[in-house]
Formats: sequence, structure tokens, C-alpha cells
Amino acid sequence: MVLVKEPGLLEAADADPWALALTGAISTPRKVTVDLNAMSTMDPAVAAMHEVAGNDDAQPAKTSAAKSSAARTAAARAAAESAAADATAVETVAADGTGQPLDTAAETDDERRVRFERDAMQYVDQLYSAAMRMARNPADAEDLVQEAYTKAFSAFHQYKPGTNLKAWLYRILTNTYINLYRKRQREPLQSNSDTIEDWQLARAESHTSTGLRSAEAEALDHLPDSDVKRALQSIPEEFRLAVYFADVEGFAYKEISDIMNTPIGTVMSRLHRGRRMLRDMLADYAAERGFKAAGDHAAEAESKNQENGK
Amino acid sequence: MSDCQGLGDCDDTRMQRIYEYLDGALTHDDIAEIKEHLDECPECHEQYDLECVIRVMVKRSCTEAAPENLKNSILDRIHSIRPVEADAEA
Repeated sequence: MVLVKEPGLLEAADADPWALALTGAISTPRKVTVDLNAMSTMDPAVAAMHEVAGNDDAQPAKTSAAKSSAARTAAARAAAESAAADATAVETVAADGTGQPLDTAAETDDERRVRFERDAMQYVDQLYSAAMRMARNPADAEDLVQEAYTKAFSAFHQYKPGTNLKAWLYRILTNTYINLYRKRQREPLQSNSDTIEDWQLARAESHTSTGLRSAEAEALDHLPDSDVKRALQSIPEEFRLAVYFADVEGFAYKEISDIMNTPIGTVMSRLHRGRRMLRDMLADYAAERGFKAAGDHAAEAESKNQENGK
Repeated sequence: MSDCQGLGDCDDTRMQRIYEYLDGALTHDDIAEIKEHLDECPECHEQYDLECVIRVMVKRSCTEAAPENLKNSILDRIHSIRPVEADAEA
């Protein structure tokens, strides 16, 4: 089955044959024919470039003064890399262990179930974390993940082995969220239509940090996790989810674009605006907590506001 | 924020470059260029470093383990589902 169809399925959730079919697959036993198409979000060539980019990361930190900053930077880098590796690693297991390409058509129901449990169930924690950014409370997040997994299982015969399974699951989760929890506003998580194609991707991994960390960075770093979650929850959801997919999961723009069904340009602008909002919010929280960042105008302004009784 | 124009002529452009760099969305040539600039420009480097810090914070804060019973609930539900007849359409 050759699936070549441009993304754009989620123009409106109502008209989304994928989401509708998934719903149908669960509520009725009848056969459903759908193009799940195009979840091959990680192009092998791109994955290879990531690896290549990772390999020239051999520069040692230059100065001892750079230590703290370099460590911090290295942590971010390692996080990004592990997420990228995570996103590509599993999908290479397109074979059933015998080295032969998996023939999903010849698979029995039991075999498919076993394959699903082996390959898909490992992402429950990650999907739950994402669901927490969507549903905003643990009970709803659980329901959301359970519903998404049920749909994913029902549609698993349409998942193309060798493509990015985690991204496929995330897309189902996102669609499930839109359909279950956003029924009143059924528009997809998108607005613009600008697109940037043919990006050559490579990991920005090998920068060696040279300076001491700024006071602002120090101030933010003292914030508790609860503040970070609160800040993230307070920004609009399309920005929040884009930031989550990029920063926590390390998905590439193209993958986020597939998951959220929005053009890459929209993903980029959401990330840009979302990060700006997040950063401002965090600076405010840091100021509230008295973690004053010297030279941080936002923090200074905020603390003045507070002194003035708001 | 700064007068530096090494990564672009306004803050937005500059931050966009830094984001793309962090997101792994630049070409090898672009990466070499931005690395060189970050090494010699403290202002841009500070912005870059701050974004790294935030990224780590977000990742650290938003990684929750699913409740114990969730996985079992999912498995129970999956086992109760009669899969659609997929074989014929593949």
C-alpha cells in the first residue's frame, strides 16, 4: 500500500476521515477503510543526518570558567539528542526479529496484538505526560491516553512498520484530544497556512559554551517544577503543545507538523511565540519568588508592580 | 535586547536562529556559522544559554509517570476489543 498524500487531514475534525474512521473502528465491528497515511515523520535521511551531526560533537569545554554553563548546555544537548534517538530507534525494528520485512497483511489478530503491546505500550508514560498538558487534570489525562491507545490499537493494521510509531501515537492522541475534549471548538490547532518545505535538518549539538551563566538563567533555574508546569499551562494550547513536542520530546519541526497537522511554518511561529510567552512567564514567577535577576528588566518591572500593590 | 546583528537585524530574527539551532533545524553550514558567532558574542550566547536552561526545565518538569493502573487498564481494554478485519484491506 503506497500512501502518498499531503498532510491536511485535520482541516476540520468533523471532516477528518482518519479521526472519524478511528471512532467508527471502535464503536462498530464493521470494516473501515482509511488512509492513515503519512506518519513517516522521520525520514531515514534526516535521521542519518542527525547521527552524522552527533558525531562531530567532540570539542571539549574551553575554559574552566565555562564549566557550569557548558554543563548546562551539554544537558540540554543530551536531552535533545536522547529524544531524537528515542524517536528514531524503535522504528528501525520494522522486522519481526527474523530479519524479514513484516508482512502485516499476513498477521493474525493475536500477532498484531503482541506487536502492539511490544512496540506501542512503551510510550504510555510519555503520552500521559503529553495528555497532562492537554487535559489539565490527571483523571482526564488518563481517559485521554486510554482512548488514544484504544484507537491506536484498532487502527494498528494501518500503521506502517518502519515509520515513526511514537509520532503516530502522538498524532492519534492529539486527534483524540481534539475530538473528545474540544468538541465545542472543532477547528484544528492551526491558523496560518505558510509552509516551509525542503528543510535540510541537522542537529545543533556541538556548540561549546564559553561564558558564565547569566543572572537571569540562574534565577529561572531556581524555579520549582510546579512553576514551570503552571507557566506552560498558562500559555494557549497550540503554543503549549508545540513547545512540549519540541522541548520535551525533541520532535523535529516536520514531525510536529504531522502530529498537529499544521504547516511547518506554523509550527515554527508557534514555537517562537510560545517560547517567548513561556520565558516571560517564568521571569515573572522568578521575580515573584524574589529570585532577582540583575539586569532583567522584566523581573524588575514585575517586582516594582508588586511593590506598588499591583 | 541588544545591538548585535550577527544573527539577524532584530531580536526576533536572532531568537529564531537560536531556536532553529536548538531544534536541530539548521544546515551544517548554518550550524558552523552560528557556533562561531555564539563563541564570540556574549550577548547572543547569553540568550542561547537561557533558552537551554528553559528547555531543560521544561523537560524536567513535564515528565510524569503514568499512574500504575493505566497500563493495565489499556491492556484490559485492548484485550476486549475485537479488531477490525484489517487483513483484507492491506
